[in-house]
Amino acid sequence: MSQLNFMDVYKFLPKTNCKECGLPTCMAFALALVKGEKHPKDCPPLLKPKYSQDLEKLNDLFGAEGEAEKKLHIDVDEEKCDGCGVCVIVCPVNARYCPNSLSGKQPKHPPDDHQLFQVKNGKSELLNLEHCRRLVAEGRERECRVCEIYCPRDAIKIGYYTAES
Amino acid sequence: MKEFEKFVCPGCSLYCDDIKLIFSDKNELLETYGLCLKGYKKVSELFSQNRIKKPLIRKNGELQEVSYEEAFDRVNELLKSSKKPFLYGFVNTTCEAQIKGIELARKINGYIESNASYCHGQTYLNAIETGFYFTTLTECVNKGDTFIFWGSNAADSHPKFLTKTIFSRGKFRITGREIKTLILVDPRKTATYGAAGVRDLYIPLQPGKDLELIRFIKDFMNGDKSQIPSDGFVGIDKEDLNRLIMNLQDAENGVVLFGQGVINSDPQGAVIRALIELVDLVNKQLKRGRFSIIPMTGHNMNGFVQVALSLVGKTQQIEFSNDNLVDNNENFVSKVKKGDFDLSIIVASDPISNLPVTLSSELSKKPLISVDCFHTPTTRIADVVLPAAISGLEAGGLVYRMENVPMNLQKILEPSEKLLSDEQILQKIISNVEG
Repeated sequence: MSQLNFMDVYKFLPKTNCKECGLPTCMAFALALVKGEKHPKDCPPLLKPKYSQDLEKLNDLFGAEGEAEKKLHIDVDEEKCDGCGVCVIVCPVNARYCPNSLSGKQPKHPPDDHQLFQVKNGKSELLNLEHCRRLVAEGRERECRVCEIYCPRDAIKIGYYTAES
Repeated sequence: MKEFEKFVCPGCSLYCDDIKLIFSDKNELLETYGLCLKGYKKVSELFSQNRIKKPLIRKNGELQEVSYEEAFDRVNELLKSSKKPFLYGFVNTTCEAQIKGIELARKINGYIESNASYCHGQTYLNAIETGFYFTTLTECVNKGDTFIFWGSNAADSHPKFLTKTIFSRGKFRITGREIKTLILVDPRKTATYGAAGVRDLYIPLQPGKDLELIRFIKDFMNGDKSQIPSDGFVGIDKEDLNRLIMNLQDAENGVVLFGQGVINSDPQGAVIRALIELVDLVNKQLKRGRFSIIPMTGHNMNGFVQVALSLVGKTQQIEFSNDNLVDNNENFVSKVKKGDFDLSIIVASDPISNLPVTLSSELSKKPLISVDCFHTPTTRIADVVLPAAISGLEAGGLVYRMENVPMNLQKILEPSEKLLSDEQILQKIISNVEG
């Protein structure tokens, strides 16, 4: 979603600056769309038949109304994982909250609320995704995929998909 | 519920000390934190169906359960009738048991050798002659910036090694992985290659070409060769070779980690000697910082080397006669090949499944006493099987980590079925022999 340029979105909007969406301009609405704060259906003029083609294009970009939103998933393949703990050490969020040890940073038990990964029973385990840099960080940090890059066994996959798929 | 913090994992020679185990009140393993899969399997072996619970003696061609007393009596009989006994193994156990092993060998005028004889024994034999630049893992974490894995697949052999060294953020560096260069010298793209990033280097060295490459680098660094051929050398790209030499010359704190790839390709130890000399040369030329070596050993192999050096002054090929050390140039393999023994005592090792058939069939012809925790191919052909408690779980003791740092294994559980530890079993045999 973050790769989307707001100018590409803006050209499908009515460009009337009617303020019906609650924002001062259509440009601001385009920015809000890109950030994920608004949805195309929040623009009342777009729902008129005159703009139906534009609405279709926007729905293609952001997902149609009622359709489940594509969410970030980090999958750890249990077959491939051997619990080496590289993901625990390289994850920048883990690094901030884990105490120092010979292994550099060792997760506590019970784990910190912010911690993303821990190695339990010989396998890496994803604890909570909501603190992942791909969701909370700003700018280039949002493109973080160190756990996927450095996993020696390619056991970690970052993907965006709906819950059903 | 019982919790064990800072448990030392006995799974490999890394001896990770940042493990947490949780057992139930009935001594069932509930959860482990920080253990890799290798360590987890080791700890869960506690409850394996494969454990030997009672001593076994071969009667009429079949192994039968007996008491410890009867088994020790049988061992004593075998030892009394033996002229050339030999003891082998002693790696997957503690230093205390290794000390007892050497003591027993001295008492029975036997020959003792550890698994190191066809593993990193060569490394230490060479090190005795030339010396060694050693380092510790803590130094690697805090100061290391170049890691050369030469014929070693650390991601498979010691799963947490990469985590503990290249990926950790050290005290004197703000960043961790970003400043540490991984150089992999291996014919295959192993699992260690999977941890490589953009800055890292992979040298696809053909098998058996190690010596040529090391000599070329030495010549280049000595100034005997002024430039790298434009089409590369022994199949290695010019650019890659250039980067390898640059990394050797610019490192602040480098370490060469070599494993089975180096040892198996050259049993005479010429590659190991060349590597030690290369590190020497690099250290002489480095303006700041230094290069060192860590042999990627298995389990407590370094422990046996330390114990043997302190007790008899040799690392392998230790033979006693009339309480004195005898000079000999035969190793375990040549001894077994010749059949130059009449009784073997195998402690904490499984040579029958490790060795080639020609050697293992030679072993099976003579009486065999096995001290082990699990049923293995060796215990199946043994005449006497003495079950032992698992070192590091049911028996504590001293072990040496891969870079010769002593660690203490903890006894966290009482052994099931009142099993004796390796040390106690060997002590009992010694006192029986003394009569």
